[in-house]
Amino acid sequence: MIRPNGRLPRLATLFATLAIVAAACTPAASTAPTGSTATQAPPATSGATGAPVALAYPESGEVTCGTGGSPGSFNDKEYTGNLKSIEAPDDMTVVFTLCNPDVAFLQKVAFAVFGINDSGWIETHAADGSIKDLLNGTGPYKLDEWRKGDSLIYSAFDNYWDKESYPLVPNAVLRWATESGARLQALQGNNTTGITLVGPDDFDIIANDPNLLLAPAPDGQALNTLYVGFNHDIKPWDDANVRKAVALAINRQEIVDNFYPKGSEVATHFTPCAIEFACEGDPWFASGGDAEITEAKALLTAAGFPDGFSTSIQYRNVFRGYLPSPPAVAQNLQEQLADIGITAEVEEQESGTFIGNANAGALDGIFLLGWGADYPEVTNFMDYHFGAGATAAFGAPYPELATPLGEGNSTTDAAARKTAYAEANNALQEVVPMVPIAHGQYANAYLAGTEGAQVSAISTEVMWAMKPPATASDPNTVVLTQGAEPIGLYCADETDGESLRACEQAMEGLYGYEVGGTEVKPALATGCEANEDGTVWTCALREGVTFHDGSTFEAADVVMSFAVQWDIDHPLHKGNTGIFEYWAGLWGGNLNFVPPPPATPAPSPS
Amino acid sequence: MIQFIVRRLFTSIPVMLGVVVIVFILVRVIPGDPCTATLGERANAARCAEFNARIGLDQPIPVQLGIYLKDVVTLDLGMSSKFGRPVTEVLLQRLPTTIELTFYALVFAIVVGMGLGIVAASRRNSAADVGAMMLANLGVSIPVFVLGLVMAFFFAVILKGTPFALPGVAAGRLSPGFRFDTIPEAWGIATLDGPLRGILDFLSNMYTINGLLTFQFDLFIDAFRHLILPAIALGTIPMAIIARMTRSSLLEVMGLDYVRTARAKGLRGRIVLFRHGLRNAMLPVVTVIGLSIGGLLSGAVLTETIFGLTGVGITISQAITSRDYAVIQGVALFVALVYVVVNLLTDISYGFLDPRVRPS
Amino acid sequence: MSATVDAATGTPLPAVDAGATRNSRSIWRRILAQRPAVIGLTILSFLFAVALFADVLATYNPERSVLGIETRAQGAVARAAPCIHALGCAADRPEHWMGLDGNVIDEFARVVFGARVSLLIGFVTVGVAIVAGLIIGAVAGYAGGWIDNILMRIMDVFLAFPALLLSIVIVTILGAGLVNAMIAVAIVAIPIYARVMRASVLSIREQDYVTAARAMGESAFGILLRRVIPNSLTPMIVQGTLGIGTAVLEVAALSFLGLGAQIPTPEWGQMIGREYNNLQNAPHLIFFPGIALTLTVLGFNLLGDGLRDAFDPRLTR
Repeated sequence: MIRPNGRLPRLATLFATLAIVAAACTPAASTAPTGSTATQAPPATSGATGAPVALAYPESGEVTCGTGGSPGSFNDKEYTGNLKSIEAPDDMTVVFTLCNPDVAFLQKVAFAVFGINDSGWIETHAADGSIKDLLNGTGPYKLDEWRKGDSLIYSAFDNYWDKESYPLVPNAVLRWATESGARLQALQGNNTTGITLVGPDDFDIIANDPNLLLAPAPDGQALNTLYVGFNHDIKPWDDANVRKAVALAINRQEIVDNFYPKGSEVATHFTPCAIEFACEGDPWFASGGDAEITEAKALLTAAGFPDGFSTSIQYRNVFRGYLPSPPAVAQNLQEQLADIGITAEVEEQESGTFIGNANAGALDGIFLLGWGADYPEVTNFMDYHFGAGATAAFGAPYPELATPLGEGNSTTDAAARKTAYAEANNALQEVVPMVPIAHGQYANAYLAGTEGAQVSAISTEVMWAMKPPATASDPNTVVLTQGAEPIGLYCADETDGESLRACEQAMEGLYGYEVGGTEVKPALATGCEANEDGTVWTCALREGVTFHDGSTFEAADVVMSFAVQWDIDHPLHKGNTGIFEYWAGLWGGNLNFVPPPPATPAPSPS
Repeated sequence: MIQFIVRRLFTSIPVMLGVVVIVFILVRVIPGDPCTATLGERANAARCAEFNARIGLDQPIPVQLGIYLKDVVTLDLGMSSKFGRPVTEVLLQRLPTTIELTFYALVFAIVVGMGLGIVAASRRNSAADVGAMMLANLGVSIPVFVLGLVMAFFFAVILKGTPFALPGVAAGRLSPGFRFDTIPEAWGIATLDGPLRGILDFLSNMYTINGLLTFQFDLFIDAFRHLILPAIALGTIPMAIIARMTRSSLLEVMGLDYVRTARAKGLRGRIVLFRHGLRNAMLPVVTVIGLSIGGLLSGAVLTETIFGLTGVGITISQAITSRDYAVIQGVALFVALVYVVVNLLTDISYGFLDPRVRPS
Repeated sequence: MSATVDAATGTPLPAVDAGATRNSRSIWRRILAQRPAVIGLTILSFLFAVALFADVLATYNPERSVLGIETRAQGAVARAAPCIHALGCAADRPEHWMGLDGNVIDEFARVVFGARVSLLIGFVTVGVAIVAGLIIGAVAGYAGGWIDNILMRIMDVFLAFPALLLSIVIVTILGAGLVNAMIAVAIVAIPIYARVMRASVLSIREQDYVTAARAMGESAFGILLRRVIPNSLTPMIVQGTLGIGTAVLEVAALSFLGLGAQIPTPEWGQMIGREYNNLQNAPHLIFFPGIALTLTVLGFNLLGDGLRDAFDPRLTR
């Protein structure tokens, strides 16, 4: 499972929009992708150089696409991906062939992870590992220095292909502060033009300060969920009445009202409703009121706990979009549970330990956890938590959930999926493996008068479209303060929002997102056209583009940038951890992937 | 004298060894493991097996200890699991910050501390004496983080916008985006390589030194402004200790016979004070200065956290949170080494200051 | 490193004054003659009173948020500024003398109950460290030889670390929490007391009455228990009093870093550690616990100074 460290379901949100659009556009046999500008596929041999350059990946062998329920193969290994081949018939054209049509192709290709690198650059720097410390893109800013522990310093790239438009300001600095209070103080102290991840208690302060500007995410874009979970293999959570009692006692509205920023919502279903099939079935039952508390007490008595019992509330103190104030919520829960006689001790665990315990099914109390979407698919929420191969945090999978979920993910028939997910959602309310609480809103903040003040769910705030007001301490430098230091700058191999944002300033993909939005528009490609059945995408590349180090942009760069991620056996399949998490989630699978032998369950930590 | 030094070095080896082994053990007793700590939710059994193999945790413990001891002797402190870089590289990167901070804190502590102590001793029982000692008492009692925050509030919030404002909480080492040249760049020898380049890069990372050596005075000023508050916060406790020590030591010495003799001979008070009094009063003060290093390193963790300075102190704090064994061990070793060296220097300086202590 | 200087406060360690501590009335008089000691005692009495009467002084629960009894409209928001009716706060708003903290809990109640926690921390930590240090130091000093050597080498290894760093490592092993933080700080402090004890024992064991007791056939253990230890207590007590302030500071530092007292326990260092990033917008949440901490440590330091001066006539004032 892919866990965006940047706490924002950036990819998820963009796909949410896309999913809505996709639902509207089914059946998927359309040709023109939404948002494309080119009206006509360019001829395959156009290009500045004229001479056709043949380059294809895979270089030898061919992918056999899967059919129906069985996966395809490549090189005698199972291949579950959707990409069949990438070819460059000439210097300025790239052709992607897919096994099945993908309406989301352009949005995926525009994602920060697929920024194009120069092939020569990859050859040098992926080999020696320096690729994660440097940026060499085609974007309006070039990276001057990564002052470790302090900031990234960018300056304008003089040969940018659209230099009349961008960047608005010649210098940029990306900094970080892990505490939301520190980010706010930096903004109030005029030490930064903008900050990300505004703390929930600071929304009002910023809204009331005429010198500051709050930029909240558009409504419904919060693709995250907070829940409290129980492991039903551990007493007393093996009794459904006990779980239901706790669920009835929690006043979810109170939590959202007091510890979440404005715009956050109480969860009606486990999966945020912007995702297709998420909100089939009945909304979650009422809880927290007097009637519910009485019912809860009755259930506890029926379960054999007339006077309640003792347990703990386990959580980790890490800021996430789904849970901006963990200790406060934990404490509030503690107080709420006392109302039905449950004495809960608040137990803060170290982040890594907590996750380890969750994955091993070792959390024996009520645990506070959440989820931010990796991509906007209901399976990313439901199956990961309740499907047949689900996380062990809740104990053994519930058959009442695993069965309908299995039906839902094995068909593409919309009606059948609807029924399946309705059944699953209703079953959730019966077995109560967890209680969904909230979908958390988030926002950025800027100095008042900042041009281009953006908030992006996918961490693509681009500083080159921002301009500080004249009252900023340095109007020629745009400064953005985010939540943490980037882990590495080779974004193909990173998943945290902080790294992706750092890349976005200097790298570009075939397509890109419009500033501050999720519509895609051509960037390094002048247009990508799909064929009739949507399985072949032909992209015409932009001419006259150079990289920051002077190399010319051409088709070979595109092929290499994708190939090194796609093929596990590629000699340059190297990065920071070399895992390239997003590839499998977006394109279905890697070439030459050999699944690890089933691991024996890890011994539970003492 | 040389014998003395060599003997002292010898006796510190078992201590160093003890430190290494204890840290090694302690660090492995810490619950949780680097894999879940680093990869977070992405950690699963297969990935962790690969991760652990990569950092050598799949070997039995005695083998790990053996490998570690061998590496330490060759100055290879391993790879940081959090940063994916050699520990020595992480340490060297963050060391200059801590050295700069500790240096200015110590300068503050010594200058102000001794000054207060001398004033107090020479005007014994006067208002100045009482005042200075009350200040010293307060200095020892106020926690480092409280003092830092109070000063940050005053200079960064209350004085905001005035020419006297100073950077406050989480302000870092320089103003955002401040560009400057490293020493090799400024001196036009940017192509230089080898150990000299390494040394120059290390020095460049101490921004105030860099600014002075390359005449980039704007760099010096910006860096210094960011260091004033942390240095004072960090140095206040040692300052107070030194003040009290100087005072009581001076008083003790002033009461001794040879000083009274000097006075009786007609030498003016101040000469007596400085020539005879101070020299002998220095012994305990030097001891205290040596002892302060430990407190400075401890306090650096808190000061660096508050003011956003990425130095060694905050590194070990973060390393513990992410179970970065290699970094924890490396820093612990380094700190113990510093202690041993400081002890040695203290003992040697005894020899200079007090002939009686010199080994024959 | 000589054992004659107290690393925490920079003053010379109390010299052993065997046998000079019999007359308790004269001790009191000597203590009270030291002005700092008087001030220290005053502060500490105030602190003890606050701790003792915390329930009476605080009208709110220090561990529960006020969201149950007040509404947002009445001002029950996180980090609300102090509301004192006498100073002009609207009469329909509930009074919170020190405002509300990040979890919407009354800050005054937390500060006041924090006094209990701090006193507990100070006495228990130092108590444990003294007992352990006493045993180790007495055994090392009296036995001498290789036992002394080994014990003191081990103490040296512990002293080779800055106190806070070592306690951070210990707490990380034991797990974050107030009790573990106290254990860690106690462990780190043991070498100091061991040294003090050992120094005392070394000088006392050569005294006549000890030699006499040995000649009369008393067991080593008996001599330790009945002769040596009682006469070595004074420096330990003085060091201990000074050490209480240090212990409170160190546990506060651990809590500041998030490794010590956990919510909802009110502890001053923890309160500051959770809010320091909001210095500009909620300075009251840092100042009040900060002042409380400083006063407490100051009180113990002053008293310790006074005790040391009272018990050690050698030191000229």
